[in-house]
Amino acid sequence: MTKSETFSRWGIIFAGIGMAIGTGNLWRFPRIASQYGGGAFMIAWIVFLFIWAIPLLTVELALGKKIRMGVIGSFGKMMGRKYAWMGTFVAFVTAAITFYYTVVTGWCIKYLFATCFQGLIRKEPIQYWETFSSSWEPVGFHFLAVFVGCTIIYFGVVKGIERANKILIPSLFVLLLIAVGRSLTLPGAVQGLNFLFSPNLSQLGNIKVWLNALSQAAWSTGAGWGLMLTLGVYSRKKENPLLTTATLGFGNNMASLLAAAAVIPTVFSFFAGQNLAQEKVMDIMKQGNEGLTFKWIPILFSKIPSGNFFLALFFLALCFAAFSSLITQLELISRIFMDTGLTRKKAVVIVGICCFALGLPSALSMGFFNNQDWVWAMGLVVSGSFFLVLVLKVGPRKLREEIITRPEHKIRLGRWFDFLVTFFLPVQIIAMLAWWFWDSYSTSPGNWWNIFSKTSIGTVLFQWAAALGVFMIFNKLITKRLYLDKNDD
Amino acid sequence: MTIEAIITMILIFGICLGGFILFLYLSSKEN
Repeated sequence: MTKSETFSRWGIIFAGIGMAIGTGNLWRFPRIASQYGGGAFMIAWIVFLFIWAIPLLTVELALGKKIRMGVIGSFGKMMGRKYAWMGTFVAFVTAAITFYYTVVTGWCIKYLFATCFQGLIRKEPIQYWETFSSSWEPVGFHFLAVFVGCTIIYFGVVKGIERANKILIPSLFVLLLIAVGRSLTLPGAVQGLNFLFSPNLSQLGNIKVWLNALSQAAWSTGAGWGLMLTLGVYSRKKENPLLTTATLGFGNNMASLLAAAAVIPTVFSFFAGQNLAQEKVMDIMKQGNEGLTFKWIPILFSKIPSGNFFLALFFLALCFAAFSSLITQLELISRIFMDTGLTRKKAVVIVGICCFALGLPSALSMGFFNNQDWVWAMGLVVSGSFFLVLVLKVGPRKLREEIITRPEHKIRLGRWFDFLVTFFLPVQIIAMLAWWFWDSYSTSPGNWWNIFSKTSIGTVLFQWAAALGVFMIFNKLITKRLYLDKNDD
Repeated sequence: MTIEAIITMILIFGICLGGFILFLYLSSKEN
């Protein structure tokens, strides 16, 4: 690995925080936290930072640093090439998410343009969203998102990813702090904070609160996606994975808290002085991600002083968050092509073309977009479980003592890590999958098997099985392309 | 704002900001 392909000390921290902070921090966290008990949810969410996100991210970073190959290569080298299909599945899940994430990034760019140049704040937001999402415009903005993301990683790790994140992440925190300052000075904002942070400890007995806190901790930090592993490929030899991942985990949580402190008091301010304000806020929060961000946020900002400026600021922050994650996702796919012997430039061009082409159905159809989000967001739990299988096959103690820790590291993982990955994480994964299947089944018991339904268990199992089947069948060919057959340990 | 909400807010922000600063410090010290 040349110096131009190795992160600096601060470079990997910025890149890691950028990877973790995405649109989910700004649009999902405030919504889920307020829906599932506010303060009680946050206690559970911080617990899962320690017992899910940080251990998994540490394992990923250590693997990337040790093997110096992308996700497939790392699985193949650590477990033997006949298990490389697990890495292929992990990479594919993240790639499948990237195909529609570029579409979301495109929406954010469009709304930033519309706020700055088309007077979005004066338009009827619900109708504006319907017209936009059913037109060809999302395709153009999807292309722009892919083009900008690929251009950044085209310049490499130091000149591309590190430099971009050193600008995006501090700017994002400044934008969030300005937004928090504005929201907290609005009338009725205190009720919002009260609603958000009221502990309501009885909610800690509700399994849905814990499972939603786990899903938020898993998806928001990027644990189990293979992204931290990809960044680890470019880390310095003496990097302490535990310190780096703990820093980015807490940084990611800070961004989520700031986003919630900006959004929820603004929503409360909108309904200040009205009866049943809390019930109305809950109705908005149940509208889903696009509903809150692209329909309600413009309405809310239209009612506050200097609303246009703060709406532009919000969408700028959303664009920064989206791009800081997108570039690592694109790098994950490119890294795999580079492992086959392609140059970075060729790999990035191929990835750009593939992402644009495979994201088109999501850009053109909200039905397809929602189906892909439903199938592959949950696929991340399977990805996380594959990392766990890897850890258990290698041996938690061996991994901890020989791969994660180096003799010069002063802060080390303790024996609690072995107990956590052997007993605790498998239980969490099984509980999460079981609850999700049961919840989905009870929502539509007559249609759960339908593979053509947008959001059924059938479509999830069918697409997972199809992907796994293809990767198992072509495992030998894939490992040959990655030269794993010559270097198998 | 209730006293419980204020305490929870300080606690949650304190853990996240404190953890972030602590690990930033530890990683700069170790490297």
